[in-house]
This record gives sequence, C-alpha cells and structure tokens, in this order.
Amino acid sequence: MSAAPSNSANATITEQLLLRLKVPTKLRNIEASLIVFAMIITSAALALVDLGAVGRLDVSIIGLTLGLGAIVLALHVVMRFIAQDADPLILPIVTLLNGLGIAMIHRLDLANELVGWQSQATRQIVWTAIAMVVAIVVMIVVRNHRVLQRYRYLWMVVGVALLVMPLVPGIGVTINGARLWVNLGFVTFQPGEIGKIALALFFAGYLVTARDSLSMVGRKFLGIRWPQQKDLGPIVIVWIVAMLVLIFQRDMGTSLLYFGLFLVLMYVATGRAIWFVVGGGLFGAGALVASRFLTYVEGRFDAWLDSFNPAHYEAIGGSYQLVQGLFGLAAGGVIGTGLGAGHPDIVPLAESDYIVASLGEELGLVGLFAILSLYLLFISRGMRIGVNGADDFGRLLAVGLTFVIALQVFIVIGGVTRVIPVTGLTTPFLAAGGSSLVANWIIVALLLRLSDTVRQQREVGDAA
Amino acid sequence: MSELTLFVLRFGFLALMWIFVFAVVFALRSDLFGHYTRRTGRAEGDITVNPIAPAAQFMPPTEIPANSDPARTLVIVAGAREGLEIPLTADHLTIGRSAQSGLVIRDEYTSTNHARLQLWNGDWVIQDLSSTNGTFVNSQRVSVPTPVPLYTPVSIGSTIFELRP
Repeated sequence: MSAAPSNSANATITEQLLLRLKVPTKLRNIEASLIVFAMIITSAALALVDLGAVGRLDVSIIGLTLGLGAIVLALHVVMRFIAQDADPLILPIVTLLNGLGIAMIHRLDLANELVGWQSQATRQIVWTAIAMVVAIVVMIVVRNHRVLQRYRYLWMVVGVALLVMPLVPGIGVTINGARLWVNLGFVTFQPGEIGKIALALFFAGYLVTARDSLSMVGRKFLGIRWPQQKDLGPIVIVWIVAMLVLIFQRDMGTSLLYFGLFLVLMYVATGRAIWFVVGGGLFGAGALVASRFLTYVEGRFDAWLDSFNPAHYEAIGGSYQLVQGLFGLAAGGVIGTGLGAGHPDIVPLAESDYIVASLGEELGLVGLFAILSLYLLFISRGMRIGVNGADDFGRLLAVGLTFVIALQVFIVIGGVTRVIPVTGLTTPFLAAGGSSLVANWIIVALLLRLSDTVRQQREVGDAA
Repeated sequence: MSELTLFVLRFGFLALMWIFVFAVVFALRSDLFGHYTRRTGRAEGDITVNPIAPAAQFMPPTEIPANSDPARTLVIVAGAREGLEIPLTADHLTIGRSAQSGLVIRDEYTSTNHARLQLWNGDWVIQDLSSTNGTFVNSQRVSVPTPVPLYTPVSIGSTIFELRP
C-alpha cells in the first residue's frame, strides 16, 4: 500500500465508506423502531392485565417497565458506536419476550396479592435491569470474540466450578428436590445458568482444535463407519459429567442441556452424524438405568406417561402441576381467556417453570404460537450468525449459544405440554429468575458481537 | 369498562403480537431472498478454487528461471470434481479443507491445511503440512517436499490430480 492509490481506488474507498455508513444506520434504525414497538406491546400487556384483573390501571409498574425500555435503548445506542453491523432483530425479539414475561408475572402477583418487594414482577424488573447492564458491559469489554478462544481451558475450569458449586456444603441449597442453587447470604442464584455459557465457550474452543482427529473415520461395522476408539474419550467424559449431574444434583434438564450442547457442537464441528448415534445411545442408556434406580426420575416418567392416573395426580411431586397446566391450556382454548381473566395462579410455580402454561391460558393458542414464533425467529437469527461466521470458533460459538436457548425452550415447553417428561429448566427470557435472565442476556450480547464481526469481515472480503 | 371493549382490546393485543412477528419477518426478507446469502449447502467432496491474494504478486519473482517450462494447469483426474482444470497462475497453491486454502477440498480424509504446492526453481514441489491421512505422489507417501513431475498422479483424500503444461 506504499504506492499512491489511483483515482479509481479512491472512488471505491469513498463509496465503501458511504455504504458502510448507510447500511448499518439502516440496520440500527430498524432495530430502534422494533424496540419501540416491543415496548408498546409490553405496556399494552401490562395495561390489559390490570384492566382484566382489577379493573383499573396501575401506572407505576408500566413506568418501571418503560424504565427497562430506556436501558434497552441505551444498549441500542452503545451498539450504534461499537457494533454498528450487528443483527437488528435479536434485541427487539428478546425485549418483547422479556416484557411479556414481566406482564405475566405481574398478573400472577395480582392473583396472589403480592405487593412491593414481595412482588415477583418488581424483582423480575430489577433483575432484567441488572441483566441488561451486564449485557452492555459484555458488549463493551468483548470487542473481539477470538480473544475468548484463547482462554478455553479457563472456561472449562469456570464451567465445571459453577456446575459443582451447588454441591458444596454450606452454600448449596436444595429447592424442590433439585440441588441447583447457591446461597451467598445476600443473594440466591443458579450458577449452572452462567456455567452453560462458560461450557459453550470451552466446547467451541476445544472442538476447533480437536475437530480434525474427531472427524477421522474408523472401522466399518454394521454398514456404519464408527469413530476410532481413541477418539471416544471426550464424549465419554462429558457423558460422565452429565450423569453425575443427573445423580447428585437430581436435575434431568440441566444434564440433558449440557450433553445435548456438546453433541450438537461435535456434530457441527466434524459433520459426522455418527456422534449423535453414539451420544444418543449413551444418554438414553444412562437415563434408562437412572429411571430404574433414581426414584425422582422414575416418578417423573410415571407422571409423564400416566398423568391422569389419580395415584400419580395425588402423589407428592406427582403429576398435579402438569395436569393443572394442561387444564389451564385447555381453558385458554384458541384465543385465550384474555389477560387478567384466567386462573393461571392455580398451577404451582406458575411464574417460573409453568409460565408457558399461564401465557397459554390467557393468550390462547394464537398467543402461544406468536411467542413460539418469536423464539423461532431468534433461533434462526442465531443459526444464521453461525452459518455466516467468519472463523471456525465464531461459528461454533454462535451455534452453541443459540442451541442452548433452543434446547431449553424445547425441554421446558415440551415438558409443560407433555411431549417429554417434565424437567426443571427455566423458559429463557420469560420465566421469573435472575440468574437465568443474566445468563440469557449475556448470550444475547455475545451473539450481537459475533453478528457484528460477520458483517464487518464480509465487507473487508468484498473489498479485496 | 364493558366486557365488549375488553374483548376487542384483547383481540387487538393478539393482533399486535402477530404484527410484530410479521414485522420481524418482513425485516429479514432480504436475508431470505439473497443479498446476504453466500456459500450454503456445499456437498461433501466438493472442490473450490480461491483466487490467490494479490499480496503474492509482490514477492520478487527471482526464483523462476527460464530454462524449463513449469506446469501451468492442475487437472483433477479422480474425485468429486473429476475433469476440473485449475490454472496455476501464482507460484504457490495451498490445498486443504480450510476456506482459506487456494484449493478447497471438502472430504473427510482431508485435513484443514493439508499440503502446499510451491514453484521451486522451475519445478512444482509438493509439501505435506503434516496432514492426518497423508499426501501421495505416485502412490508414495510424501514426508519431505517432493518434486511433482508432469502427468504424475498426486492423491489427497479421495481426490487425485495431475500437473499438466
């Protein structure tokens, strides 16, 4: 580049500059208008909840929620400066899901007559604000995702530490049978939620280096090419960890989430479907054995297969919650009872594990499908970032983070609608719970960062 | 507030949610119909050729002598893209599964950075970049940089190519 650039080169550089300035602004403008739209829908939901349940408007909660809107717009403005090319649809979708969750939690507060700091909605709003600020910080600190790859073994240590933290006596807390919480005196949180991000970072970083040997083919047996024996190590280790979670933390959902994440990343990294056969077989066998020897797993399976049996319905930890959720969905019908007009509070844990049943009751099939569409769009954006990724680590990371959300949505909603056995995971962005919100907003920040890199590098590539 | 107003408001709310969903879909239509799409659904064993970066031209071409005529084309003689001819314009060509390679061969026996063809004193020399499954010149596995004569089969994974004038 020491030679003086010619006139034509000058012109193209100017044009590129104009393009660079024009296209991102367009993206960010789309984002801004959709965020405003999402906040309008959220306010409408809160207003309808108040009108439907008590017949008068409560302005304070709407004011608090609009405060959240201000933080989202702050994130948006930050992105105008440091991530101009980021995907414009992720942030509005997530804002709306989060807002609908707050509206439904507020509705359950009204039913349970919780006010002030007792109110779950106020706490959810505060946690959302914290989560959004954390997302802004992640956005500012992580300017280049490749730096994250360098610390892959640190992520492994962090991930495993967060995973086993609830088992440490003294700080570990067992709630509803699952040992997933940590009590630090001033705050109770679920370290596994943050752990899933650390593990996604580690898996992506590790598989980038290990993919060549893992995609090697071994002997042919039964018409299928099996992997080589020496390459089975990593999958067996992750399987053992998943089984330990199943046994000691007594939580099937988390165990399935971690193992599924590893399998998918292995498949994406190597392009060999055989890992699904091996991994699915291992997990299936483990779950089968667990269902024989662990009473809680057995109980979950019974409650799922034979929910309407009075013996299971009345048993402690039986199918009461599941069946009430189904009754709620049935009461909602196609267009729902209307916000504030149903009885979602009958279901235990309606604001966290069963928020989907609550929303389904009051918004009906039409509303629930709109929510599922929002998840679908979010996940398709995430996968898109993965497909377009500029480097292998970025690709794997985008797919991994997106898949964590997708799998979580499937496990929770599948459980509530009785497609699979019920497991205790949170619905991303909707359910009440601070750790889950913080974790999922960090995922959003990382995806936005990755999508910014994708578009920027494409421009560099086009220029060459 | 009357039941009817509430009903209309509730119905309007559901409509609003769906309008949001369709607004998002509308915003990403350019993504669905091209504009940002690139390189999707590439088949196993597929081969692509990347242009050599312009930086290669700045290398001083002192090593290229005039006495012998080096091969000018690379012809795939077996594999997914049999018959493909690739002109050898620069003085080197990297081969591998990585998208950064000059010749991208995507099959499960090819390593990310598999081998490198280099013009050395008028002869093409192939160097194996410690690939997992090896590079073979005339069925002999290559361990040191080896000259590749014209019309000699070189195999990488399931692809075999020859150099021709």
